[in-house]
Amino acid sequence: MEVLDCLGKRCPLPVIELAKALKSKPIASRIKLLSDDPASAPDLIAWARMTGNSVKELGDSAFEVTKLTD
Amino acid sequence: MALPHIFEVSWPDPTKLGVDSKSAAILLNEAKETFAGHLGVRSDEISFLGEPSLGFYLALSGLLSPNTRLVYSNIDRMEIFAIAENYPNLQLATSTSGEIDFKECTNSDVVSLQLCNRETGIIQSGRPTNCAELFVDATASGTRIRLPGNWSAALWDSISWAGPGGLGVLAISKKAKWKNPLPHLDSRVNPGPTSLPLIVASALAIDSWVADEKNLAEKISAINSEIRTYITDKIPNADLAPGGADHLLSASFLYVNAEQLVTILADKGFAVDSGSACNATNMQPSHVLAALGTLTQGNIRLTIHHATSFEDVKIFLEVLEQTVAELRA
Repeated sequence: MEVLDCLGKRCPLPVIELAKALKSKPIASRIKLLSDDPASAPDLIAWARMTGNSVKELGDSAFEVTKLTD
Repeated sequence: MALPHIFEVSWPDPTKLGVDSKSAAILLNEAKETFAGHLGVRSDEISFLGEPSLGFYLALSGLLSPNTRLVYSNIDRMEIFAIAENYPNLQLATSTSGEIDFKECTNSDVVSLQLCNRETGIIQSGRPTNCAELFVDATASGTRIRLPGNWSAALWDSISWAGPGGLGVLAISKKAKWKNPLPHLDSRVNPGPTSLPLIVASALAIDSWVADEKNLAEKISAINSEIRTYITDKIPNADLAPGGADHLLSASFLYVNAEQLVTILADKGFAVDSGSACNATNMQPSHVLAALGTLTQGNIRLTIHHATSFEDVKIFLEVLEQTVAELRA
């Protein structure tokens, strides 16, 4: 799985970089996002709800993101 | 009465003898009666605090004993989170619409009830009926929501009726088993003295605020609806926090840096607050937004004042839409 390393980056950068990385990818692509910003956990869940994608929290600042919509 | 005049007439200590002190005591008693009338408590249940947030500690610590459980919610004020660290406690989780279910409370608990959430405007409809003592956080609701009948202690903030800042009103019910947690030799709740000019100014403010509210409530409600509709219809990827009270509104914008948004809005003449991490001193996102599942990035919190006009709001919304688009580009 592709890894997007956003460790040390502050909100809203991890979510912006994730959206950019997913843009050119086909539906059902998965990305492992690394982010230790305290806002990332709540914001990735809200992002998934708002954009219709899927996020699974893996622990240790890692999230598995699956693209479900364009 | 203008504020400078209030300072001229209310400088003496109302507890001393002498003509000036007697007139100051009359001013203090009149102020207490004014607050009692508007807040639905007895005047002898009222104390004033120069630091409103100290009221959370005074009220709750006085109601709790070392083994009492404190029941509170995850959208309560952080002051209550801090107090809970020192007692057995139960934190209730809000639903995504902001409702709290108090059914787990038992008749030995001290329960904290927030009538209105100051960040989002969520009005709590649930009422804890099964509890030993009930603390009511009325700091954001002011005079808008009546106290539940079984209240033990309640706290208000003068700014909620557009009074001077730095003044809290704390009521301890005569029926409550409250013990002063501070060292004390007499029955005063707060050692004080609290600024009499501020108390008098706040009493005048609450009178005029309540009178204005009757005429302006409809306008405030219409402005709130207009802002919500505009953000929903015109600004993509916006997340409105659940609300309730018409004077408050919280909205978040995906892919937007809140610090930049608040700064640009301030430059254009609009003072808004934010619950985003980049705007907080501890760099943590708002615990209220996180608890509700609302987006925490790009967040702004709005307060609609009595003087806010439809014209102000129209300009604000256009500036907001344009700024959000620019920051996303």
